[in-house]
Amino acid sequence: MEPAEAEFLAEKELVTIVPNFSLDRIHLIGGDLGPFNPGLPVEVPVWLAINLKQRQKCRLIPPEWMDVEKLEEIRDQERKEDTFTPMPSPYYMELTKLLLNYASDNIPKADEIRTLVKDTWDTRIAKLRLSADSFVRQQEAHAKLDNLTLMEINTTGTFLTQALDHMYKLRTNLQPGESARSQDF
Amino acid sequence: MSEAYFPVGPGLGLEENFLSLDDILMSQEKLPGRAESSLPRLACALGQGAGTGDSVPEGSKLEIPLWLAKGLHDSKRRIISVELPKIYKEAWRTVFSADANVVDLHKMGPYYYGFGSQLLNFDNPENPEIAQTILQATSVLPVSNSAYLLQTFISRFRRIMDSSQNAYNEDTSALVARLDELERALFRAGQKGLNDFQCWEKGQASQITASSLVQNYGKRKFTDIDG
Repeated sequence: MEPAEAEFLAEKELVTIVPNFSLDRIHLIGGDLGPFNPGLPVEVPVWLAINLKQRQKCRLIPPEWMDVEKLEEIRDQERKEDTFTPMPSPYYMELTKLLLNYASDNIPKADEIRTLVKDTWDTRIAKLRLSADSFVRQQEAHAKLDNLTLMEINTTGTFLTQALDHMYKLRTNLQPGESARSQDF
Repeated sequence: MSEAYFPVGPGLGLEENFLSLDDILMSQEKLPGRAESSLPRLACALGQGAGTGDSVPEGSKLEIPLWLAKGLHDSKRRIISVELPKIYKEAWRTVFSADANVVDLHKMGPYYYGFGSQLLNFDNPENPEIAQTILQATSVLPVSNSAYLLQTFISRFRRIMDSSQNAYNEDTSALVARLDELERALFRAGQKGLNDFQCWEKGQASQITASSLVQNYGKRKFTDIDG
């Protein structure tokens, strides 16, 4: 899966906006989106929020985890633990990129938040690599990693599955049981 | 889904993939061997003599490519016998078990893993140990030869993973110089994952670009069509 596809899936998450127009309830295939009244916050999916923001029809409210102290806590927690800690949202990377690109004026201390999220991402990727290396080195058959997000899996997935394929083929060479069939004329 | 062309990968087992370009190139690598019986009129073809009618005397040493060796190898009619190239022998196996990362696998024959797996085709008492060398990790002393193939792969895995995932937009030729073809393919997969992510983060993923298939068509000017 590509990063763009993961971003597409992330756009379904809900976020709060404050519209500056009014509109009745709209009925979409995925569900209803509540009546829009100027100045009253309403929850919408990210794709709609970004669209409205680009047309200057709303103001975005950052999710409650997108705050400097909270992210610092998360980052320190991630650095302390050996395993993966649960992330505030399964799409934290995509949401950060989308919201900070399109709505950085609505989010206080946007640069610090970007740095903090990047630090957390780097820590998690490093842990993932360490875990992949020990998995390969000990030739385990099965591993379980909790709290990984889709974006992290995508970045390292192709490489890891190919390497494990090669290992499997090399390992089946160890069985000399099946003799090579040769053609006798 | 976004790739224009999926090449057939190399078969890493005892049998190669017929359609794989990597396997075809790999089977051109030469093996040392001996002619068990006299081979009439083949001296020229095997690079031994000058005259067209010369025959290869029994017992002379030859360097034959793998595809020829596999075809001629037969335990009943002794035409040729092959021996292991020196990089799969005992001396090099101890080097690999000491530290596999320092070896320049590209110089050792760019298809170390593929060729090594093919060598297991020829009945050889050291076969199981070779496979283990190519595969196994360092914890237990490998007891068989085919295990060494596995061991080398595992020890080098970490280095490939780290270098492929951390070198963004740099010249990677120094990093790949010491890897054989199989490892290079893995390196490219790791790089691609990294590049895709960085590209997405910069926002280039949503820009429409021309497909690689049509970029080479070139643009024809109107004068060409009219004239």
